[in-house]
Amino acid sequence: MSKQVVFYPGALEERDGKLVQMGHKCKDCGKTSYPAVELCPFCSSENVERVPLSTTGTVFSYSITRVPVGPFKPPIIGGYIDLPEGTRVFGQIHAKAEEMKTGMKVKVRTGVIWTEKDGTEVIGYHYVPCETGSGGA
Amino acid sequence: MRDVYVLGIGQTIFGKHDSLTVNDLGAAAALAAVKDAGISPKELKVAYCGTMFSPPTPVQSILFHLGADRIPMYTVENACASGSSAVHLLFQEVALGVRDVGIALGVESLSAFNRKFGKGLLAIEGDLQGKLALTMPSFFAKLCNRLMEKRGATIEDICYPSVKNHKAGMTNPYSQYKTEVTVESIMASPMIADPITVLQCCPQSDGAAAVIICSEEYYKQHNKKAHRPPVRIAGSVISVSGAEDVSYDPLAMQVVIKGAKDACEMAGVDPQKDIDVVELHDAFSGEELAAYEMLGLCEPGEGVAFARSRAVELGGRCPVNPSGGLLSMGHPLGASGVRVVNDIARQLWGEAGVNQVEGARVGLAQMLGGVLTGIESPVVAGIQILMI
Repeated sequence: MSKQVVFYPGALEERDGKLVQMGHKCKDCGKTSYPAVELCPFCSSENVERVPLSTTGTVFSYSITRVPVGPFKPPIIGGYIDLPEGTRVFGQIHAKAEEMKTGMKVKVRTGVIWTEKDGTEVIGYHYVPCETGSGGA
Repeated sequence: MRDVYVLGIGQTIFGKHDSLTVNDLGAAAALAAVKDAGISPKELKVAYCGTMFSPPTPVQSILFHLGADRIPMYTVENACASGSSAVHLLFQEVALGVRDVGIALGVESLSAFNRKFGKGLLAIEGDLQGKLALTMPSFFAKLCNRLMEKRGATIEDICYPSVKNHKAGMTNPYSQYKTEVTVESIMASPMIADPITVLQCCPQSDGAAAVIICSEEYYKQHNKKAHRPPVRIAGSVISVSGAEDVSYDPLAMQVVIKGAKDACEMAGVDPQKDIDVVELHDAFSGEELAAYEMLGLCEPGEGVAFARSRAVELGGRCPVNPSGGLLSMGHPLGASGVRVVNDIARQLWGEAGVNQVEGARVGLAQMLGGVLTGIESPVVAGIQILMI
């Protein structure tokens, strides 16, 4: 089996055999931040716990890049996803350009997002539409 | 706090200067500034330099060319607001009475950067979003999409600042581009991130700018250009975003709104009535269109109507980027924050040639920079208000 690394340290971890995005929920102010950092970035509390992020959200805003960026080939759809806990997460959205709409519902997928030249598989996440026809500008 | 004055300005032509180092570029701008100020470089008591990608200690290396030495010197990095930060720190030292005169420099060589790291869109090293292909054009494409969804902007509206600024750049001797563009030519240029095409983006540039800033007493003793009305830096703010900015609308960036509000309060000006000219960070055409309302030049939500009224053109209520802006002037990252201050000083002195805003008495210079994992918004803005 080839070597695997997570694309950003601490962004994902394995829980019950599944890779999940892990953030910090603050027990004092109640806000969830992602990626996790030392203290709550909202209130500086140390009283934070690692929690899995919600796996579905709505597209706040997106754009479609038509040139290659790093290991990614165009078109690259990137968007800000608003999660039910109030956290806004950036991620790529694997969808057809014509089906993209602000406010559409998306769900997260985790897995290999690119492979290095030495065969190392880089693990990350992206979003896919929940169903066609949701949302709208 | 003491009053703070602009004594002299200098810059290189912005563009491709492949054979020049940042030290060559910085020295040319610094020399032009001390000559404009009419003082010896030995007079300088402190120096700040804004840059993002220069080798270590550029300010010492640059000022060595001029024989300015044995004074405190600092290089500061704050993304596109690096030059603004150099100006701000020098402003503070003079305002607080620590020094009477100093120089703020900004310098960048994107040619040198590209030789080292390769061409292409600038990625943000180590950033979660950057690793997932967020780039500056893709961020500002989201802002353009919001402008169209929430403000009713058309493609013509999005392209308007680029058309306006390229026209202005034609007659600026320091600008990188001397080419007019149209909505048609802009939209025919290669698409980067819908709806942003190449001609809606500022170019990569090499260049430097420098400004000599001093106390009122020093100004009275040393100003040799009696024909120039004294230009005072009446407000200077470095505004940084916070965790809450994550969930804000990019059309209402608090880092810009609060920075502009604080700078206007500091200077005692009403942006809708008093500001006569603005030089701002138009890295992307749509970014300028979104900035009018955030800077308070018009009511929130009215930016597109403000542009359509032609208020931001020469002859309008408040011309924006009469220099040609980043879009036509070019954008040597660390230099631009100093360059916008220089261009406002030039306007208030009445020395902007065919790009002169007649009767300008108050001007605002703005820069915006950075993205940060966890803050889905630019993280730092620098704002200076100059007045006569």
